[in-house]
Formats: sequence, structure tokens, C-alpha cells
Amino acid sequence: MSDVRYSTFLRHYKCMESTQFNTQILNHSDKLFRLAKSILRNADAAQDAVQELIMKLWEKRSILDEVENIQAFTMRSMRNLCLDTIRKNRDEDELPVEFEYVEPNPYQQTEQKDLASKIRSMIDNLPELQRTIIRMRDVEEMDISEIAYITLLTENAVSVNLSRARQKIRDQILNEQKKVEETVWK
Amino acid sequence: MEMMNELLEKYFRGETSLIEEKELKQYFSTANVAPEHEIYRSLFEVFELELKETAISPVIIDLSKKSKIRRIWVPAFALTGIAAILILLLWVQIPASTENYAVIRGNRIDNTEYVQQYTVKKLNKVNRILARSMEPMKSFNNVRKNIEPLQNLLDRRKINDEQNKLQFK
Repeated sequence: MSDVRYSTFLRHYKCMESTQFNTQILNHSDKLFRLAKSILRNADAAQDAVQELIMKLWEKRSILDEVENIQAFTMRSMRNLCLDTIRKNRDEDELPVEFEYVEPNPYQQTEQKDLASKIRSMIDNLPELQRTIIRMRDVEEMDISEIAYITLLTENAVSVNLSRARQKIRDQILNEQKKVEETVWK
Repeated sequence: MEMMNELLEKYFRGETSLIEEKELKQYFSTANVAPEHEIYRSLFEVFELELKETAISPVIIDLSKKSKIRRIWVPAFALTGIAAILILLLWVQIPASTENYAVIRGNRIDNTEYVQQYTVKKLNKVNRILARSMEPMKSFNNVRKNIEPLQNLLDRRKINDEQNKLQFK
């Protein structure tokens, strides 16, 4: 009788544990996916990376209780995992994932007639650190201190990289505007 | 307008706070954006657009499934373990039964020398008992010895008779 009670208690406990894990980690899965996609620049690879990270975190869920900021902790783990993946690919194929990204060809460029998709590829063409930081700040609206924790940089270095990224995008947007004006004048 | 201009410059220098950035997003989501700011509208639109991006398939850890698998495996492993122990016990017991030992009055004795001495002692006892019980047979022997000459006589006589018969023929 007591055995039966113990096993039901265990099942309940496991259920509780998993729901707690779900709320702690799975609620961030979209955010983790966006970060992975920004770093890897490939939706499928990003999805795999998120799945891998979640499985790893589930195995080490006991550690999570000691983590103060779970979101920052998981984002940091996600970035490290993605950077590892890029490094691994670089070792294996010599052709780094970073360089696999090709600029849209003229045909695609005509397809990307709207400025929005052009801006997205502009961000994607930034160095990894800059595109990660600009997205964490402007898309995810994270604190500089949190971004510093995730990227293992000082807050000052984060601000510098953020302003560089924004400046680059601004310059490119202005260039784009100029091109449009030129074609109109022609 | 002037204020927004300043705020935008501050934004590109990376000096705006989160609240100020929200203000900018708010500004670019409305219809009254100054014409000179219009080119940046897409930039803030992209941020809003990207925020809506979700993981392709929902990432779910199905724990119920996992524990079900575990529930099947645990008894399976337990049974395998029990079977292995039984086989091991049998395996260990068979050579044990081929060991040399004797049972004396219900006690197991492993000392072979002791067992040998004990056996010799017992056999001697049996011998003595047999010898004693054979004692009456000695008198039979005496009788046989005494009868022997008489038997010889009879045999000789038989032979003579037969010889006589042959002579007559």
C-alpha cells in the first residue's frame, strides 16, 4: 500500500519537475531559437541547436535551481553551443558556416524589393557579435548588463559593439536610399 | 520633431535607454513620422517583425513518454537480473556437490584423513564381528578334515569297481 502511495508521489513529483522545467526553459524557446538563427543564419540548424540545448539543460536541471537569471543563463548557453557548432563545422568542412552565407543574387535582390527584407540581410551580414548584440537589444529588449553576461563582454564593450552595429546599418540604409534616388533620377 | 531627431542620433550612438528605445518604436509605428525619418521606419518594423518569429516546431520535452519507457524497462531489467542471479547460483552449486566430503551421524566432515581413519576403524570392527560370527564354522572344518580319509577310501573303491567291470567286459 505504501509502495503504491510512494510511486504515485514520485509520478506527481516528476510531473511537477517537468512542468517547472517547461515554464523555466521552454518559455524561452522562441527567444533561444531567434538567437540561434541569428548566429547560425539557418532556421533548421537553429532548431536542432535549440533541441540539443534543451535536452542538455534537462539532464542538468538540478543546476538550474541555483541559477539566478535563467533567461540570461540559457541564452549564454545557447550562444556558446552555436559558436561551438560553427567551430566544429569549420574544423570538419574547412568551409565555415559564417562564410556559407551568400549575399542575395541580383534575382533575389529584385525579389527583396522592400527595404525591410534588405535590412534583415544587412543585419545578417554583420559580424556575429554585432548582429547578436543588436538583435538582443532591439528585438529582445534586453538590458546591457544581461547582454554583457551572455556575450562574456564588459558592458562598455557591449555598448561600443551596439553603436557600431547600428551605425553600420544606418550607413547602409542611407546608401540604399541614395541608390533608389539615383535610379529615380535616371 | 526636434526631440525625435535627437533621440535618433542618441540611438545610433548606442546611448539610448530601453524606455527611450520603446518611445522610438512607438513613434515609428504611428502614421505621423517626419518625412526625413521615414527611411528608418523599416528598421524598427524589422525589429517588431523578428520578435514574432517562433521556433519552427514547438520544442517540447515529453516526459510522460519517457517515464512510460522507463516503466517498461525497469521490470525488464529486474527480471533479467533475477534470472542472471538464479543461473549464477545454479552454476556455483553444481561444482559444490562434486566436492569430497562425508556425513558422519548427520555431520558433514571435510577432513579426509579423519574420514579414512574412521572408515578403517569401522571396517576393522566389521571384520571382528564377522570373525566372531564365523567361529562356529570352524567345527564344520574339523568334521570335513576328519571325513576326508573316508571320502578317499570311498572314491578308491568306486574306481576299483569300475576297473573290475571293465575287466569282465
